[in-house]
Amino acid sequence: MLKQLLKKQLLEMFQNFFVDRKKNKGRSKFSSIMMIVGYAVLIVGIFGGMFSFFARSLLPLVDKGYDWMLFAFMGLIAVALGAFGSIFNTYSGLYLAKDNDLLLSMPIPIGYIMASRLLGVYIMGTFYSSLVIIPAIVVYLSYVPFRVTAVIGSVLFVIIISLIVMVISCSLGWVVAKINSKLKNKSIITVIVSLAFLVIYYVFYFKANEVVRKILANADAYGTKIKGSAYPIYIFGKVGTGDLLSAVIVLAVVGLLCALTYYIIAHSFIKIATASQNASKKKYVEKASKIKSPDSALCGKELRRFFSSPNYMLNCGLGVLILIAAGVFALIKGDMITEFILSVFGSEKYLCVAMTAMVCLIASMNYVSAPSVSLEGKTVWLAQSLPVSSWQIIKAKRNAHLVVTAAPTAFCAVCAVIAVKPSITAAIMMIVTPLVFVLFFDMFGLYLNLRHPNLTWTNEITPIKQSLSVFVALFGGWIYSIVFFILFYPLKERLVGELYLVLISAFTGLLCLALDSWLKKKGAKIFEEL
Amino acid sequence: MLKIEHLTKKYGDFKAVDDLSLSIAPGEIYGFIGHNGAGKTTTLKSVVGILQFDEGEIFIDGTSVKSDPLKSKKEIAYIPDNPDIYEFMTGIKYLNFIADIFGVDSVKRLERIREYAGLFELTADLAQPISTYSHGMKQKLAIISAWLHDPKLIIMDEPFVGLDPKAAHILKGMMREVCDKGGAIFFSTHVLEVAEKLCDKIAIIKDGKLIRSGTMEDVKGDDSLEEVFLELEEE
Repeated sequence: MLKQLLKKQLLEMFQNFFVDRKKNKGRSKFSSIMMIVGYAVLIVGIFGGMFSFFARSLLPLVDKGYDWMLFAFMGLIAVALGAFGSIFNTYSGLYLAKDNDLLLSMPIPIGYIMASRLLGVYIMGTFYSSLVIIPAIVVYLSYVPFRVTAVIGSVLFVIIISLIVMVISCSLGWVVAKINSKLKNKSIITVIVSLAFLVIYYVFYFKANEVVRKILANADAYGTKIKGSAYPIYIFGKVGTGDLLSAVIVLAVVGLLCALTYYIIAHSFIKIATASQNASKKKYVEKASKIKSPDSALCGKELRRFFSSPNYMLNCGLGVLILIAAGVFALIKGDMITEFILSVFGSEKYLCVAMTAMVCLIASMNYVSAPSVSLEGKTVWLAQSLPVSSWQIIKAKRNAHLVVTAAPTAFCAVCAVIAVKPSITAAIMMIVTPLVFVLFFDMFGLYLNLRHPNLTWTNEITPIKQSLSVFVALFGGWIYSIVFFILFYPLKERLVGELYLVLISAFTGLLCLALDSWLKKKGAKIFEEL
Repeated sequence: MLKIEHLTKKYGDFKAVDDLSLSIAPGEIYGFIGHNGAGKTTTLKSVVGILQFDEGEIFIDGTSVKSDPLKSKKEIAYIPDNPDIYEFMTGIKYLNFIADIFGVDSVKRLERIREYAGLFELTADLAQPISTYSHGMKQKLAIISAWLHDPKLIIMDEPFVGLDPKAAHILKGMMREVCDKGGAIFFSTHVLEVAEKLCDKIAIIKDGKLIRSGTMEDVKGDDSLEEVFLELEEE
């Protein structure tokens, strides 16, 4: 029975690799392998490169004999990333799964249901934390002479981190569920709480370079201090270096924490999962409503869906906050950014291109449209039976993305213009280019989701976080922004920055036209047949 | 009001609906019965434009569903067998959304929401998120939304499932009222007693084919509808 539940959970998580939702049939082995390889290459390429670089900067600690400090530092980052990435996944996966009622009504022990759900949480947590810790381990093992204990320690370190991530995300997920069961305006409060976590995370992230510099300069002092007053961190780091005694101690403690967490969750699972949401009833007061056109009503519906789901907002709309924060940062630290770009690239020509590429890259972190077709789920009959064309429905999804993303992108772009003080033409292009990119990312997300829809999810996390369209939209946006910047290098002698931006905007505009035509004809047809 | 001509709908090689023809005149309540998987839902979904069909034609008040789907959809309302509606909205937001799509003016929508929500005793819950509604409440909301734009033809798939006896009684009254005003109702049901009492005409579908249709008297004669249905099923 447990095996079947685990199988169901895994199938739900990874179904996109094996099932073509559009054709409603299994993929060929070749197609599945290609998808998995493509996914792995993107992940290893982006995160592997980023965290390998970070781990490399900590290698002087190894030279000084503080190997454990490298592992402690990278391990804590892995735990933070893993736990942050999984809290809401845990909350939705454990308590909001649509098949909770069905499974609870069957003769299945609660423990089995919990175990299968926790497997999903564990896999996601392990995935996020591994993005940090595996590159660090590879960097470490390729730097030090080969030792069997170091390899064993590394493997145990990955397991320990994944378990710690699960304990933290389950505990915090449980807290979120408890808070949610008692509050009004849940989605907004959930978002605020999450953003608090996010701010802490980013403060930590941006301070990381400074912290690394300080640690490297004062390794002895920090080493002694941690050993003296934060001994658990010391033995945690020692695990990665291959200290088996530390591994046993840490494993025992983590095992105990896992058991305690499981006990707490198991005892409250049914109560939370089946809690009535009727606690605070809002009374209906009759009043005339504002009449909207069908297009406006459809767009309003999309926005309501977005703002009512913390998962949707946090995963697909995070770019809004980063765009605003980046804009403010550019206003305050404009001179520093200008100096930095000039020192790295040595030419003023790069200023407007680099700043624009950065705004585009951040804007691509918003991918509201990418899961929007899948999110119709079982309600797709409604959109299909209403007297509106499929194109109107797709257009509403496109417009909702623009409503959420265009204004913060324009704000960030204007701040970037103020920061680098370019010519009028360059200033105009620094604002126009990101907006054209936003439209492109928007329609690209819709294109991907129409090509790879999934309407049969039981947990909204599946289309929002674990779907191919979302993954490709996010990383595709990043890659497009980076490539656009890199391509300027061979052209910089022949083109001024603003002309390059004109060309890039024109090219992206053409892609938008092509996507627009596809969405109107083929996309609308696909939606009708969903 | 509704004319289905030689409708055929295939899923791969399987014919879910095979050369089905029927017509519904204004003022008629038309029942559609058949075993599970007979093709009832496929037929209804083809009529409302959710499913694309392979052969045949469907006309709603003279407008082809195939060539002018939007015009024909404006004249109808559809209530599916399972009221999967937007759970992220409140009841009132959902009703206003539907009213906006159909272009119902402010006064009429307010009047109709007041009337039908009052009938179904749903007024107090309209400000609640639909995610908190029971199955029956969602079904009531789906019914209210279907009546909001005063459609000429209402298509319903198992409309009585999930409704309490009082709500089911109210719905029957509302159905009759629509037909008295010149509209028409086409609905599927497994409750043969309801079909027998409520319908002016009935169609029986088996394995995608229409095996009998006409007025209630034509179809059942002196027998009960249940006897006729079971007899036809066994043939």
